[in-house]
Amino acid sequence: MACMNEDGQWIVLMGLLVAVGLFFLALIINQSALVGQTTAEGVLEFPKNDIRDLREAVFDYVDEFDHEEDTESKAVRDDIIAISLERKNAVVNFSVGDPEDISGRDLHPITIHYNNGVTEYDETVYY
Amino acid sequence: MVNDGGQLYTMEGVAAGLIMLLTAYIVISTTSVYTPGDTHIPDMQLEQLGNDVLAMMDTPDRDGEESQLVGFVKNVTGPCGGNDLWDEFLDNCKMRAGDEDDNLHAQAYLSYRRSDGSVDTTPLSSEDPEFTGRENTVRVTRWVQLPVGSPSDMPPDVETTRPQAVLVEVLLWRA
Repeated sequence: MACMNEDGQWIVLMGLLVAVGLFFLALIINQSALVGQTTAEGVLEFPKNDIRDLREAVFDYVDEFDHEEDTESKAVRDDIIAISLERKNAVVNFSVGDPEDISGRDLHPITIHYNNGVTEYDETVYY
Repeated sequence: MVNDGGQLYTMEGVAAGLIMLLTAYIVISTTSVYTPGDTHIPDMQLEQLGNDVLAMMDTPDRDGEESQLVGFVKNVTGPCGGNDLWDEFLDNCKMRAGDEDDNLHAQAYLSYRRSDGSVDTTPLSSEDPEFTGRENTVRVTRWVQLPVGSPSDMPPDVETTRPQAVLVEVLLWRA
């Protein structure tokens, strides 16, 4: 090491430090794709729209048939249950009870059950 | 007496060690490279777009009126039927997405329950000529409740003598 000029060593070291810093920033950017994947798969897997749509279908059913059980309402209920199972791989059931007095309004208690093997959803809603 | 000369050489050694470690990390991590296509982000966005558009079409203009979607399903083969549903769906997708996406394709189907209890699915719109069945599609669905007597001109095994709940399914993909 004789006769070597050792000036500016700190500058070299600081340069290395900046390089390491940049490397870690690059690592973070690299991970962002992975984070996006987990998020997207989480959103795709959760049947948010299926459940919302099922609730609306049940409310339409109540609008049409109230809580009466006759062959027509039973057929529509069976439609929803059978098509859910066949086309959406979801076990669905719902029942509509007699109207109850809720804060001065007569509302039907509706119980909705939904299970697609990953997500289970149970609700009692007054409509 | 401890001699503190040569500290910078020690630092240099540490730096060299770091560089070697990082190199090893990069080499090992190159076996899995994620590209945006692997991440299902476009699928997620496409599914949300399709669901929003179906919800939009299923919302009546006024309370108690029939929604556009129900109207389309009622006259499947007639005017304002399945092909118009398809057309309107794609138009609304492009409108919601905010750009003229010519690569966007869709195919609408209708699922219904037959009198024997089995479920059948029939195309609602004309087949897309470019559809091969191998596209990376997403499926969006919407329940529709139909009164007695509809849909008109459907396969004979659709029961039109009773009100029924049917499922509109739309396959959506970019090609």
